[in-house]
Amino acid sequence: MPPCLRPRSIALAIAALCGMLFLWPEPAGAVQEHGAPEGVVIHQGAHLFFLAAMGLLILRLRQRGLIREAGWRRIQLAAFFFALWNADAFFAHLLDEHWGIVQTSRIGPGWLRIEAGLWGEILAPLYYLAKLDHLLCVPAMAFLYAGLRALRRRAADASPEETAP
Amino acid sequence: MTVPFWPLFAVDVGGALAMIVLSFLSLATAVKLRRSDPESLLWIYLFWVCVGLAGFSLSRSVGHIARQMLLLADRGDLWEALRPYSGAVNTFMFIALAAVTLFFERVWKTAERIARDRRALRRAHGELLAVNRDLERLAEERARALAYSERQYRRIFEVARDPIAVLDAAGAIREINPAGAKLLGGGEDAAIRLRGRPLMRFLARPDAWREIAAAIDSRGFVQNLELELKRPDGTTFPALISAVRDREEAHAGAAVHLIARDIEERRRLQEQMAQADRLASIGQLSAGIAHEINNPLGVILGYTQLLLRGEPPGSDRFRDLKTIEKHVRHCKSIVEDLLKFARRSEPKQEKVDIHRTIEEVLHFFGQNAGDERVRLEVDFDRRIPEVRVDDKKIRQVLLNLLMNARHAVGGEGTIRVTTRWHEAEGRLAVAVADDGCGIEEKDLPFIFDPFFTTKPTGEGTGLGLSVSYGIVRRHGGEIRVESRPGEGAVFTVLLPVEGPSPEEEP
Repeated sequence: MPPCLRPRSIALAIAALCGMLFLWPEPAGAVQEHGAPEGVVIHQGAHLFFLAAMGLLILRLRQRGLIREAGWRRIQLAAFFFALWNADAFFAHLLDEHWGIVQTSRIGPGWLRIEAGLWGEILAPLYYLAKLDHLLCVPAMAFLYAGLRALRRRAADASPEETAP
Repeated sequence: MTVPFWPLFAVDVGGALAMIVLSFLSLATAVKLRRSDPESLLWIYLFWVCVGLAGFSLSRSVGHIARQMLLLADRGDLWEALRPYSGAVNTFMFIALAAVTLFFERVWKTAERIARDRRALRRAHGELLAVNRDLERLAEERARALAYSERQYRRIFEVARDPIAVLDAAGAIREINPAGAKLLGGGEDAAIRLRGRPLMRFLARPDAWREIAAAIDSRGFVQNLELELKRPDGTTFPALISAVRDREEAHAGAAVHLIARDIEERRRLQEQMAQADRLASIGQLSAGIAHEINNPLGVILGYTQLLLRGEPPGSDRFRDLKTIEKHVRHCKSIVEDLLKFARRSEPKQEKVDIHRTIEEVLHFFGQNAGDERVRLEVDFDRRIPEVRVDDKKIRQVLLNLLMNARHAVGGEGTIRVTTRWHEAEGRLAVAVADDGCGIEEKDLPFIFDPFFTTKPTGEGTGLGLSVSYGIVRRHGGEIRVESRPGEGAVFTVLLPVEGPSPEEEP
C-alpha cells in the first residue's frame, strides 16, 4: 500500500481540511435571515389562528348543545368577543404595520393626527375605533370569568356525575 | 384627521389593567373548579386555558401600559427597544392559547369517554356490591343454618342416652358423648380422659374389635352386634354395637361412627318375662295337680280321723294313724301353698298403712327370732301414702322375705327393711336386704320357681318365694332380687298404691 493511502495519512488530511475551514471562514448562506416584516406576519398569523380557534370553540359549544347551560353560554360569548377582538387587532395591524397606510403622530398635549393617504376620511376613523380594542377584549375576559363562576356554582351544587359530559 | 388622545389612553391603560385583573380572577376560579374535582379532564382543560389567558393578558397589558407610559415620558426610543420582545411574547401567548383552545373537542370527547367509563365502573361496582351483599347474606344464612344443624346434631350427641363415639381408623376414641363417658369412664366428665384410648380396652373380649374392624372393612358397617362391654369397675354388661365407616371425614381422622346400646335392662326384663311365663305355666300345672291331690288327701285325712276315734289312745294302731294324720296334714299344707301360688282370685283391697304393717310383721318376727343375734334395721320413707292391698297377704310376703333373710344371715347379721316412695310411678318399694351368704348367679333365674330351695331337705318346701311372687303379681306389683354370692341379697317389692288395675293379669 502506498504511504499516501494509509489511514493515518487520510486522517491527517481530513484534520488539515477542517482546520482550514475554521481558520478562514466565508459567508455560506446556510442559515436564513429573518427581517422585521416576519414579526408582523407571524403576529398577524397568530391573530388569525386565535380567531379561528375561537370560532371553532363557538362551533363546538353549539354542536354539543352546551350553550343551554349558563356557564358555557357565557364562555361562548367570551369566545365571540375574543374573535371580534382578533379581527379588530388584525385590521389595525394591517393598516399601520403591515401595509403602512396609516401613520399616527402626536400634535400637542391630548391630540393625535392620523394620516391614511387617499382613503384617509374613511380609514382614519375606522383605525381610531380599531385602536380602542380593549372595548372588545375586556368584555371577552369578563364573560369568561362570569362563565367560569357559573360553572363553579353548578359544580358546587351538583355531583361530579352531573357536571360530567 | 386629528383625534383626541386621552380616550385612547384611558381605554388602553384601563383595559390593560382590567385584563390582568379579570384574567387572574378567571384563573383563580379555574383553580377552584379543578380542586372541586381534580380528576375532571374538563376542569383541567379550563385551568390550562385560563393559564394561557393569564399569560396572554399579562404580557399584552404590561406591554401596552409600558408603551403608554414611555410615550408620555417622551421615551419613544426605549419603547422601540422593548417593542420586539413585548410583541414576540404576546404573539407566542396567542399561539399557545389558540393551540390549547383547539383541544376542546378532543378533551370533551375524552372527558365523555371517561365519564361513560366511570358510570359503567360505578354501575359495575354497584352490581358487584349487590352481588357481594347477596353473597354475604347467603353466606350468613348458610352459616346460621349450618350452626343450627350443628347445634341440633351436637344436642343429639350430647343428650343421647346411648353411648355414641367417633373412632379413628385404629379404633381409638376421638369423641365420645356424655352417656358413653358415663358408662365407660365412670362419669360424664370422663370424655376428655377417654379420648385416644382404644375401644378394645372396653370390650370384655379384646379380640372382638378385630371382628368389628373386619366387618367394617368388608361391608362398611356392623349392625346390632351383641358384645359384652366393660365398666370402669371391671363388671361387664351386654350391649348392641352398630358402627359405620365415615369415608368423608377420614382425612380429619374420624373413621368410624359407633353407637352402643346397653341392653342389660332389656335382657333382665326378658329374663323376668320368661320367668313369669314359666311361673305361670308351673302355676297352672301346680293348681291342677294340687286340686287333684287335695281331694284324695281330704278323704285320707277324714278316714284317718274316723279310724282314730275307734282306737284307744296309746295303742300301736292309734300311733300309726296319728303318723298318717300328721303327714297327710303336711301334704295338705303343701298343696294349699301350691293353690295359694296358683290361685287366680283377686286380693282383698283395703287401705293399709304399709309402715304399720311392716312394724307389726317385724315385731312378730323379732319375737320368734329366738336367741339368734340378728340385728333389724329400718329406713322408712314417711311420704308414702296409704296403700290399697290385701294386708294379710302382704304380711305373708314380708314374713317370707324376712324368714329367707334370717336363713341367709345364718343366725348372725343384719336385716334392713327400707321403704321408698316413687311418686312419679305411683308405686312404693319395700326392700328387705340382708348381709348373708347371697344367692349364686346360676340360682337367680329359679328362685321364684315352686319347690326350688337351697335349704337342706326338710327345712323348706321351696314355696315361700313362689307364693310371695304370686301375691305380689296379683297386687299388680313386681318383686325383684339383686344378689351376689357372699355379699347378701336385696328383695324389693314394688306395689302400686292404688292397687292393681282392672285389666292387670295376676
